[in-house]
Amino acid sequence: MASLTVDLALAGIAVGSAAALTGIGLIVTYRATGVLNLAHGAIAMVTAYLLRQLVVVWHWPTGAAAALCLLVVAPGIGVVLDLLVFRPLAARGAGTAETLVATLGVFVLLVGAAFLAWGGDARADVPSLVSARPVTLPGGLSVRLDTLVQFGAVAVVALAVAAVTRWTRIGDELRAVVDNRRLAVLRGIDADRVAAVGWAFGSFTAGLAGVLLAPYLRLDPYGLSLLVLETMAVAVGAGMRSLPAAVFTALVVGVAQSELTALHPTAAAQPLVQAVGANLFVVALLVSVFVLPRIGGVGAERAAAALTRGRRTTSPVGWAACAVVLLLPLGLRAMDLYAALQVPALAIVLLSIVVVTGYGGQISLGQAGYAGLGALFAAMLSSGTFFGLPPLDEFAALPLAVLLVAPLGLLTGWPAIRRRGLALALTTFALGVAVSRFVFAQPFFTSGLVLNRPRGLSGDRAFYVFELALLTAALLVVRNLHRGRLGRALAAMRDHEQGAAAAGVPVPRLKLFAFAVGAASAALGGALLGMAGRAFDPADFDPVRGLLWFAAVVVMGADSALGAVLAAGLLVGLDTGTHEGVSALVVGVLAVLLGRFPGGLVNTVLTRREERGAPRAGPLVAPDAVLTAEGRRVRDRVRSASGRGP
Amino acid sequence: MTAPLAARGITHRYGGFTAVDGVDLSVPAGRVTALVGHNGAGKSTLFDCLCGTVRPTSGRVFLAGRDVTRLPDHARARLGLARTFQQLAVFPGLTVEENVRVGAEQRRGLTAPGLAAGLIGLPQPGRSSARAATRAALRLLDLGASHRLRAADLPTGTLRRVELARVLASSPTVLLLDEPAAGLDQDEAEALGRVLRALAADGMALLLVEHDLDLVQRVADTVHEMAGGRLLGPGGAEEREGGGEVR
Amino acid sequence: MSVEIELRGARVRYGPLEALHGVDLAMPSGRLTVLLGRNGSGRSTALHALAGIVPLSGGRVLWRGEDVTGLDAFRRARRGLALVPEQRAVFGSLTVEEHFALVTGDVGGRTPAFEAFPALRGLLKRRVGTLSGGEQRMVAVSLALLSGAGVLLLDEPGQGLAPAAAARMHQVLAEQAADGGRTVVVAEQQLRGALRGAAVVHVLRRGSVAFTGEPAEPGFTRRTRW
Repeated sequence: MASLTVDLALAGIAVGSAAALTGIGLIVTYRATGVLNLAHGAIAMVTAYLLRQLVVVWHWPTGAAAALCLLVVAPGIGVVLDLLVFRPLAARGAGTAETLVATLGVFVLLVGAAFLAWGGDARADVPSLVSARPVTLPGGLSVRLDTLVQFGAVAVVALAVAAVTRWTRIGDELRAVVDNRRLAVLRGIDADRVAAVGWAFGSFTAGLAGVLLAPYLRLDPYGLSLLVLETMAVAVGAGMRSLPAAVFTALVVGVAQSELTALHPTAAAQPLVQAVGANLFVVALLVSVFVLPRIGGVGAERAAAALTRGRRTTSPVGWAACAVVLLLPLGLRAMDLYAALQVPALAIVLLSIVVVTGYGGQISLGQAGYAGLGALFAAMLSSGTFFGLPPLDEFAALPLAVLLVAPLGLLTGWPAIRRRGLALALTTFALGVAVSRFVFAQPFFTSGLVLNRPRGLSGDRAFYVFELALLTAALLVVRNLHRGRLGRALAAMRDHEQGAAAAGVPVPRLKLFAFAVGAASAALGGALLGMAGRAFDPADFDPVRGLLWFAAVVVMGADSALGAVLAAGLLVGLDTGTHEGVSALVVGVLAVLLGRFPGGLVNTVLTRREERGAPRAGPLVAPDAVLTAEGRRVRDRVRSASGRGP
Repeated sequence: MTAPLAARGITHRYGGFTAVDGVDLSVPAGRVTALVGHNGAGKSTLFDCLCGTVRPTSGRVFLAGRDVTRLPDHARARLGLARTFQQLAVFPGLTVEENVRVGAEQRRGLTAPGLAAGLIGLPQPGRSSARAATRAALRLLDLGASHRLRAADLPTGTLRRVELARVLASSPTVLLLDEPAAGLDQDEAEALGRVLRALAADGMALLLVEHDLDLVQRVADTVHEMAGGRLLGPGGAEEREGGGEVR
Repeated sequence: MSVEIELRGARVRYGPLEALHGVDLAMPSGRLTVLLGRNGSGRSTALHALAGIVPLSGGRVLWRGEDVTGLDAFRRARRGLALVPEQRAVFGSLTVEEHFALVTGDVGGRTPAFEAFPALRGLLKRRVGTLSGGEQRMVAVSLALLSGAGVLLLDEPGQGLAPAAAARMHQVLAEQAADGGRTVVVAEQQLRGALRGAAVVHVLRRGSVAFTGEPAEPGFTRRTRW
């Protein structure tokens, strides 16, 4: 038994070491640049793929391939990201939300690129850098060599960071920048150079973690990226500050996760223990985001407002074009119509992001979870597996599923009352991942499910018309959230939360409301997505897909309902019309470039047109010369009457 | 007569530091009360305790005699306690008129039925009175000509007026102003002073936190100085006529 | 008097607030200049604009006639400009000695700091975060003195110091200009002690210049009841 415990602990060190490397890299980058790099996992994934390509396909020697991947490509990715994406953002004074979207864009871009280059199939043949042969340590303990190397890599990297910060010039500069960035600049330190080094080092650790982890799993674009993203927990748990704390947490969680597999509880608790054991980093992430609500949240006032133009532009032309495009599939062949069924359903899901983020100003990366819950509940209700309820007709199951998911919006709405920016993004993402792992992946919920289309709508054409009707209804409801008293209150909350509260807007209640409406909309779209495919498929609601959806909406303009519909068309159209991954690549590139067209594509286009048509009224600093004599007289009269200057 | 706003024994500590230490303060109707003091004297924390963004460690806040200590900021706002922000709270995504309208609309609470009605697009009650209040506030602050402009691109002086108009549109009984002259030039600050005097003459209770002692001398009826979290006792405006520096 | 560094029509915005409404401020070469004004008058912002840590929304910064508006703050520092900000002017996690090591390699180079602030001699091993506010000011100003920079910008260097220590601080700074030939710009709330010997006084009021001239000019006292 004792030896089994030791063996499991050693096995746990493998994943623990990778997590520790991730933690070190994320913290160093964050301290040097202020950016929490959500693309870390994708860099790990791409590096692992590249290593496999070099060794397995092009037959490079493993050593040379590893050196190229780890010492050139991975750090190079970091430097390129810094130069092309993050330095321009920092120079513009971009806030948390914009930087967050940029990291998401990089994530989505790399995932899309990997899909295109290597396909979505899982690869089990990633070469190990070190053989797994056992070696006997002086104490008589037998350890696999690769475990030893992994552990050694963490120790070397951690000690190297400590030594560099202590004894080198760049280390002094890093410490100065971390301590007091402004003062470091005033002392002549080039903070940009320090940031570039931080990016290069962070990407190097990502590559190392990916290369070390990949042999243990089957490599696919989603899986490794998400796994590394989950290990972000150790950096968050260490307050994005302490390297020893991150390394310690990583190893403890890794070992604990491994030890849990040896636990054999009663049959009833078995699935839960297994699920927790397999996903301990997700649990750690949840705990850390709930225990440490302040991470990066400071100074994030108006965070999400930066993603919108806040302009109530409506575009009849845009909507008409959109309607035509949506009606076109009705004339298509059966095969193409089947693919088009996803568009209205996805559009309704994306509208939930418009409501929560675009109108309400709350960053929510977990909407895929609500969409999945909608599909799952609809399937469970109609299959009769929903906690003792009899099987329901699909016409009843659909609205009931939506009504059941709506209050679950409080799961993310309640944390949002006290969190902002990065902290809220992490919290909603962690909840989304948790739902995916602890609900969608559990046979307890998903076994024996059938999901059919409502009676009389089983044909693709009829179902498509039904979807269009529901999309129209959803758009009308969403429009009500953008106008009138409710729209103004939401916009006020988004633009200046404290100011809105000071004006009497019940901010906590309004946030819960926005999240509940968002959850309901996502659930409706998700249920339709499931019905269109006649099954509940957890892969449709993968958390990584949720990140892609969020990025797609923001790219089009977070507060643009038209943009959400177009984004749905773009995502489905690109992937079915070309190769899977193209849509992610396109969205990723656009998200990375978002700094060039703040407010999103649709808003930018509309604004341009508007400006061409009628010049916008300039700022009120109208110099006197612009006023006619009559105008000046009027102004002076008004001034003296009200006792106010300009 | 009870003061529209009164604080009794307000103390606020955080991290072992006492920012406000047992402060009693009354803000009477029809007068401008000013709060001065150095950075770190506790003015901002006291201000936050009064308007509800911070809950004091101990002590009570009364609004028209009602204990509002446990009410959050938005609830106090609907009871007639309005505030402005040093860093300007305007909603850049809305037009000038919509900014003001947000203030006018909140006298009536946004309840669950109201949210549901808004969701399905039913008109909200009290629309016409909110519209009238908006128009009046825009006129009062000379914003009639610019009401359709988006608040994003306006200069500081205009934004101050937008914020003030939004606040006034909710017809408050008490107005707390946090450095309202920050970012204004000389003329704008003087014009602001005239508006504040006019509001006091109209019966409103005003509390002003301000560094600009000229403005304080010109508009305040009572000046309280804060230091080390305590109130050092009031002085009438007349006492300062000699031109000695009020610290 | 030739001009070392100046703001021309400089505007600075912090979000919706404009802190400098287009000011012209010139600092004479090798002399002491004092910026007077209250909190919120734009004093600190003017110094920050000169040092390049806030961007201008309008106007220019000229250094010996050259337009340096677009020059990064760290490059201005390397060219010989040292700003001691009002807040967070030291690295809390470093010792006094490590601070000195940032600006001068040899131990002998620290002498000017000890001459100005003898008290620092006994504090070399202390982490600066553990020092009193006044001692931190001394460390911060020492950094500027030792840096070899030709232009020293100091935002309330006397803040947190006892009156005698503040007077000594002002004396040291005045000497840096008079004997050392450095361009010294001091922002303070009041014109006290050695600051009265300034070549030029600029008074800022609400983000605009209310007075510029010599302290002895008749207009000074009348127009600076700010």
